[in-house]
Amino acid sequence: MSGTFQTQLLLSRPYLTRAQIKRAQHNTIPDRRVYNQKRLSVFKLLCDICIQFKFPRKTLETAMYFYQRYYLFNRFESELCYDVATSCLFLSCKQVETMKKITDIASMSLRLRNVLKLSPEIVDNCKKRIVQLELRILETCCFDYRVNNSVHIDDILTKIAKDLSLSREVAHLAWIIAFDALKLEILLMVPQHTTALAALKIACELTKGASWPSIRYSLFESDEPSVSEAYFDLLNFFINAFDLSDLKANLPENLRDTGIETFIELKKQAGLEKGLKEPDNIMSDFLLMSERDFGIRERRYVLSRKRLNDERPIKNTAKREKF
Amino acid sequence: MASSSQFKQLEKLGNGTYATVYKGLNKTTGVYVALKEVKLDSEEGTPSTAVREISLMKELKHENIVRLYDVIHTENKLTLVFEFMDNDLKKYMDSRIVGNTPYGFEMSLVKYFEWQLLQGVAFCHENRILHRDLKPQNLLINNKGQLKLGDFGLARAFGIPVNTFSSEVVTLWYRAPDVLMGSRTYSTSIDIWSCGCILAEMITGRPLFPGTNDEEQLKLIFETMGTSSERTWPGISNLPKYNAQQPQHLPKDLGALLQTQTREKMDLALVDLLYGLLQLNPDRRLSAKQALNHPWFAEYYQH
Repeated sequence: MSGTFQTQLLLSRPYLTRAQIKRAQHNTIPDRRVYNQKRLSVFKLLCDICIQFKFPRKTLETAMYFYQRYYLFNRFESELCYDVATSCLFLSCKQVETMKKITDIASMSLRLRNVLKLSPEIVDNCKKRIVQLELRILETCCFDYRVNNSVHIDDILTKIAKDLSLSREVAHLAWIIAFDALKLEILLMVPQHTTALAALKIACELTKGASWPSIRYSLFESDEPSVSEAYFDLLNFFINAFDLSDLKANLPENLRDTGIETFIELKKQAGLEKGLKEPDNIMSDFLLMSERDFGIRERRYVLSRKRLNDERPIKNTAKREKF
Repeated sequence: MASSSQFKQLEKLGNGTYATVYKGLNKTTGVYVALKEVKLDSEEGTPSTAVREISLMKELKHENIVRLYDVIHTENKLTLVFEFMDNDLKKYMDSRIVGNTPYGFEMSLVKYFEWQLLQGVAFCHENRILHRDLKPQNLLINNKGQLKLGDFGLARAFGIPVNTFSSEVVTLWYRAPDVLMGSRTYSTSIDIWSCGCILAEMITGRPLFPGTNDEEQLKLIFETMGTSSERTWPGISNLPKYNAQQPQHLPKDLGALLQTQTREKMDLALVDLLYGLLQLNPDRRLSAKQALNHPWFAEYYQH
């Protein structure tokens, strides 16, 4: 028998710049306002599930990365987003080894969404959707787990704080700030240790008597543009939504007078907003310009550019003879 | 036989814990690969072992660790594409059985394989990954004499604290005594014990401690290595499955014991290394790095 079918070889790119993210979302998110509102309520649902199961923060962090990553390459529909989020959490449990049965996660998710009559049929349907979505999430991440494997913001934050001899007070404040970071697209832009550095920097600046040491970020496997990206992203979030932040709800006693003005002042002192350099070729970037085609029969995912180059004759999508 | 577009699927190589493995050929590059087809569980989705294997192996680039090249999603099937290896250590050892008598390897080959095994393990440990399931079946070899660690389905990244690991991990014959006694705070030393068992098995062609259940496994270990006490292993009596009534044994002469099962000469340095790897107290076991610096390997590291 012979025939033709398509194959696609994709290189994993776990982190993108702000403009690249915007471009990808242009294909998938028709109404940004609805998406943002839903993102907050999805985050709340995920938090609640994590609290009920006593999951560590890394489970939530990984789920939020998966959730936001998913909607870079899959059309956002508000009806499905809670199932997507539940599936992200189910997968993140496997990833960070906080295992839970799918039935438990599905039932808890439905209960917290106030689904009144939890019949076995409703739970079973939810489980089916979770499993179907799980593979799609894995594909959206190109099966690339480097980002959520061993480094998590809260873990690395305490290690860096110790390394820089920062006080417990500063580290604790940064730990609260970093919780707010989980809701932001910064997860898709820079690695966890970079977000941790930015949270520590802000915590130092908010704490009287503490100062952010002048350090070379390369010592922590990061760089100035990446830390700045995270730093300004966090400042902008607090300027725009401080009242909704977990930082506001958990401010230590001695920082009760912190408000939007505080962050406006920090931003003023930091000078011109800077961050990751935007590439010039966004409009010709195949990954970003079109919606991901999950209809291609064979989709292959690689981490190394060398492997991509080794098979260059195939190009991105090629019709191949079937043997 | 079914073919994917990019890889020609060839003969079946075996069944793994959660997958079937085939030999495959990359039609563009002409390179042979191992295609591990993951069985997707209709109830629990993608097996967590596959998730772990993908996540850990994609990070590990070392000449003694099998490379995971890419992951393919075809309709409802997930395939992991691995570097192809001709054989595994278990099959290779089995091929040397004459009649019913197993034979170990020549000492130079034992040393070369153990050196490579420890190199791979040291790299895993440096990258904060425990293999947790080292056994001859999971050590892949090729006809150039290269040995590589494979099957990371049970591996996990370790951090601090490490007190929540499952105790049901390493295949019984290669399982460390601390794990057998229910320790849940094991770390890199769990893999080192397995390296010791594998070293002895390569010398004699026979598994060192072929127990059929936890109790027998511990009994075999204690009969040869001697019984431990609080004095030689502080904290042993706090382990969940510690048995204070365990019959007491004095350690046997491991060198003499193995010498009866091999025609090769068991030199003193080798016996010393075995004792270093097979310390009952996990804190006293050598690390992979220390083992690689052991005098028995002098001919490798002195060059």
